[in-house]
Amino acid sequence: MRHTRLELWSRGTTFAHRRHPAAKIAVALTFLVCIATLQPSGWRIGVLYFVALTSMAFAARLPVPRLHLAAAVVLPFAGVFALISFLAGTPEKGLAMMVRAWLSAFTTVLLMATTSQPDLLAGLESLHAPRFLVQVMQFLYRYLLVLLEEAGAMRAAAASRAGKLRAREFRRAAAAAGVLFARSWGRAQAIHRAMTARGFDGHIPRFRSLRLTWPDAWFVALLATFAIVARLAIR
Amino acid sequence: MHIPDGYLSTKVWIATDLVAAPAVVLLARRAQAKFDHHRIPLLGVMGAFVFAAQMINFPAGNGTSSHLVGAALLGCLLGPSAAVIVMTAILATQALLFQDGGVLALGANIFNMAIAGVFAGYLPFALLKGSRLGLFLAGFFSLLTAAVLALSELLISGVAMPPAMLSISFAWFLVSAAIEGALTMSVAVALERIQPGCLRKPEFAGRAWVTTGAVALLLGAFGWLVASDHPDGLEALALRAGISGRITSLIASPFGDYQASFLADPWLSRPVAGLAGMVVIYIACLAISRGIGATSREGV
Repeated sequence: MRHTRLELWSRGTTFAHRRHPAAKIAVALTFLVCIATLQPSGWRIGVLYFVALTSMAFAARLPVPRLHLAAAVVLPFAGVFALISFLAGTPEKGLAMMVRAWLSAFTTVLLMATTSQPDLLAGLESLHAPRFLVQVMQFLYRYLLVLLEEAGAMRAAAASRAGKLRAREFRRAAAAAGVLFARSWGRAQAIHRAMTARGFDGHIPRFRSLRLTWPDAWFVALLATFAIVARLAIR
Repeated sequence: MHIPDGYLSTKVWIATDLVAAPAVVLLARRAQAKFDHHRIPLLGVMGAFVFAAQMINFPAGNGTSSHLVGAALLGCLLGPSAAVIVMTAILATQALLFQDGGVLALGANIFNMAIAGVFAGYLPFALLKGSRLGLFLAGFFSLLTAAVLALSELLISGVAMPPAMLSISFAWFLVSAAIEGALTMSVAVALERIQPGCLRKPEFAGRAWVTTGAVALLLGAFGWLVASDHPDGLEALALRAGISGRITSLIASPFGDYQASFLADPWLSRPVAGLAGMVVIYIACLAISRGIGATSREGV
């Protein structure tokens, strides 16, 4: 699964992995804004960003070709609109769209491959994202794999008993979703009881405290300046 | 339906982020003030459930299959404000972990699917007092609203689309909306059979203002989007609805044509306006969260 792969990558200990998540979020957002505002004539900047992001991935000891591939997930959607632009007689617009979409996706993959999910959520919280939302995301991530596995098992069981679902078996598929919901609901209540028994009071304690350090400040200052200067200086 | 980064013009993604981010902060703060902490695992598991339910393929006739989107179902099960939070968490997780939808475009996706999708679904459900027709219409309007909003955002951003293509996609939206309606209805009916009483009794008291606020935001934002891109349309729109014109001038004034006026060169002004917009959004959210946080602490 894609996200378990990301989780494996995010366990590294390189300089990029050790930076404060809020610093990495700030850098990623700066890059994303600079990429999103690129025009078709700014292809040189696109190439520069590609080289910069790829060398960052190398520096973080990540499997670069697989990261490139992971970002290519956006291309099918992009391809449709590129084709429409091509048919409408503005091929360079469609091409610029595909390049922007891919570079943005690569930036996001790079952020997620150097930041574990708990760290990312802690970073969002230190940036004053609403704690309620962050905690819902935390529980969502925690139980995603469990429920996906359950849904997969139910699907396999249904297929082995009844074969492929036909049109009139719409209702049966709906019942399966209902059963899944009832199980999830029961599980959520069991989780809550177990957590309350262990003293859960609304937030989950962290083992390692996050503090902004001077290397973090340099990291943000250098990379954000690079992105903005490159965007403004090159024509 | 998940718009990736790189498609929306700077105006559109900033405008939608500017609407979505404070709205989510506001709803999260309200939800936090209202519920105690034991609702949090429940909401998280509900989000994971919608993810997992998207794995169940529903036969949609002639060999194709479809899956649930879930905004309307969540609205009927959890109530609109909690459903917006759960949908936001789902969309953020999809954008970050699955590259399904962009990060800057998250505001647009949240606006379409979480905010507009949930409220457009909750209204018919509440008005028809949770009947089967209400459930069907909930799914139908939820998906249709989200899809039409997404398409209009792409069109405003200047994605070229021939008229034939437009009518094809609109027909496709109607079909998917009907499927989503049928899915929402049958899953909700199956749920009621397994676990009676799990659907929310639709209630308007105390929630009415949230709904009204969301609808006003939606109209205002949409008016702004249309107005800011078509200068000719501005006057016509302001004539038709006096309020949207006022909102337009109120919000859009710092950045004029969405290009910081102190930098005449569009080459420089686009990224500068983009970065400045991000800072404005961040400060607005902080202010809201501080303000609401202070009042809710007094209340609790």
